[in-house]
Amino acid sequence: MEAKLMNCEHASEMMVDWLNNQMPASERAAFEVHLNECPDCQKELKTTRQLWEVMGNVALSVPKPSDNLPIQFYTMLETFKGAENKKVKKTAFWDDLKYRLESFFTPKLLLRVSYSMCLLLIGLGGGYLLSRQQTPDYQGQIKELSTQVQEMNEKMMLTLLEKENSSATERMKAVSYSKDIESVDGKVLEALLSTLNNDENVNVRLVTLEALAQMADNPKVREGLVQSILKQDTPLVQAALADVMVKLEEKRSIKPLQRLLEKDDTDVIVKTKIKETLKALSYRV
Amino acid sequence: MLQVKAGDLDKMGLLFERYHRPLFGFLYHMTGDTQTSEDLVQNVFYRMLKYRHTFTAEGEFHTWMYHLARNVINDSYRQNKHSMQHYAIENYAERVGGGLTADEELEKKQETEMLQRAIDKLSPEHKEVLIMSRYQELKYEEIAAILNTTEGAIKVRVHRAMNELKKHFLKIENGSKAHEL
Repeated sequence: MEAKLMNCEHASEMMVDWLNNQMPASERAAFEVHLNECPDCQKELKTTRQLWEVMGNVALSVPKPSDNLPIQFYTMLETFKGAENKKVKKTAFWDDLKYRLESFFTPKLLLRVSYSMCLLLIGLGGGYLLSRQQTPDYQGQIKELSTQVQEMNEKMMLTLLEKENSSATERMKAVSYSKDIESVDGKVLEALLSTLNNDENVNVRLVTLEALAQMADNPKVREGLVQSILKQDTPLVQAALADVMVKLEEKRSIKPLQRLLEKDDTDVIVKTKIKETLKALSYRV
Repeated sequence: MLQVKAGDLDKMGLLFERYHRPLFGFLYHMTGDTQTSEDLVQNVFYRMLKYRHTFTAEGEFHTWMYHLARNVINDSYRQNKHSMQHYAIENYAERVGGGLTADEELEKKQETEMLQRAIDKLSPEHKEVLIMSRYQELKYEEIAAILNTTEGAIKVRVHRAMNELKKHFLKIENGSKAHEL
């Protein structure tokens, strides 16, 4: 049916398709049927086919590209790769970092990380609370220990000072313990003052004086020192006491010093010393 | 090509090996000059590298290649307004037919020369579809994809181009016969 319907115009349109071998089988059959019955179309096909074949010759006659072409291409490719790499290197670092961060912090991981952070915080908080509870304990213990040490020092000193026929070195050592005692009073002060007044060794008395002078903040110490002025008979200790009085600016020492000055048996050097002391003390009034 | 797009530029070498001959052929038919065609081949492959991100997996690679080739040809026409179409008619003629008798060879040469002149008389659109269809042996479907149109439109265009060519060819043939007489 179709074959009979095909006219020459339609057939002419199909010639190239036919030569090209690009037509559906049904069309092809119809075309060939028409061609068999139509001399005009046969004639037209002949010229078209001739031309088509000449074109085929031309298609085959394309020269080969020169050997330079591949060389040029690969040179270009390498150059391009070089240029691209530079570009890539510049931007790649940040892109890569960003990408890694993004891929690292998946929601699942984020949950895990925050969970572990919570645990860590709880641990830190708990540890802090526990340690805070323990800290006052330590401080209390340290205080207790240090008072114990002081008591020990006091006892040591007292026993050493009160011990009969102890050596001068031992007594000096005992006095030096008093430096480690924070607040001197009661028995310790008494022991020190009696050492200052009564010890047979001059050196021990001088060391004791030095120790007591450092505790002069205590009014009892000052009083004891002032009273001690008249009790001393050694010029060395007398002079030392006079020096301490100047340092302490103790006005109450003026009277006993004057009395010491009036005494006949007072050493001459001590007397000049006392005069200077009195001058210094009254000058500062 | 997708691998090239993904950054494996070495795969471009493979594509070059496979496609540079047909591409060169197309450019040669379009321009008629070996050196120009080689330059344009280079140019097309450079564009492939540069614009590799525009390649989509949907399209065939050689469709894309012809697309770029057409752009390159158009650019080159624009640059050298003096058309280069008339160069190489003799070149063609010389290479056609080996192993034929002298008479046959001469006849073929003449035919080829006439054909070439006829083709040069065609409009660019007609010339292009004939080259793609006959010389590059592309299917209508492929040509349609390259030119962004329908298969039917290409069919019609090829048919018309062929009729045009026939007309020019016969005219030239008659002219040269008349000349001989």
